[in-house]
Amino acid sequence: MKVAISKPNRRIAVVANYGCVLLFLASFYIGKYYGWSVEVIAGAIVTAATAVITFIILHIRTRLWKLVHTKAEKLDERQIQVTHESLRYSYAIFTVVSLLVLMCIALSAGRHNSNLILVFASLLYLAHTLPSSVMAWTEKEV
Amino acid sequence: MKSRRIYNRISVLREERDVSRKELAERIGVNFQTVGYLEREEYNPSLDLAFRISEYFNLPVELIFSTEPLRPMSEELLNHKNIERG
Repeated sequence: MKVAISKPNRRIAVVANYGCVLLFLASFYIGKYYGWSVEVIAGAIVTAATAVITFIILHIRTRLWKLVHTKAEKLDERQIQVTHESLRYSYAIFTVVSLLVLMCIALSAGRHNSNLILVFASLLYLAHTLPSSVMAWTEKEV
Repeated sequence: MKSRRIYNRISVLREERDVSRKELAERIGVNFQTVGYLEREEYNPSLDLAFRISEYFNLPVELIFSTEPLRPMSEELLNHKNIERG
């Protein structure tokens, strides 16, 4: 059943979900490098469970997951506009996050592996040129 | 470019004809939530959708949609009658 959640509550759920994923990752790496104490295991279990619960509330029960994964032919014009807008923001955010992560890896291993810096530069170029390249490829007149 | 607000009479026409949002949505080929967005004037329809709505209500598109706030239908009718009388 679809559940309507107010915008402020949805925003809280988004922050809680990503926060729990980050805390789970932190617990995992603390456990891996400093040993699996009871507190670390409990922290990992609680954050993982909270991440799953907030995921279900935010993405599944609101049916937003289904909406953004439905083919455009099955959506009406407003739904297409909303999903395109969300995908536009997602592309930008995902690109920035991915490049930041890659930049950190490239800088930390830069002296030992210069290939990573080239990969980072190539992906940075691709991320910035891909939208206009797609448009150049598909549009009749620009 | 920021689009202008488009005013409409969809909710008045829908209630006048005793049609539910779901029924109207099915007839014009959109999700029922989109009808809500249209009625609250939070979404401007495409030209295609505007024509589908006008065809459904069997009214000219300019009688349903406007770029200026719409007056009540009764006021419009009275004004029309006064013009006819001269």
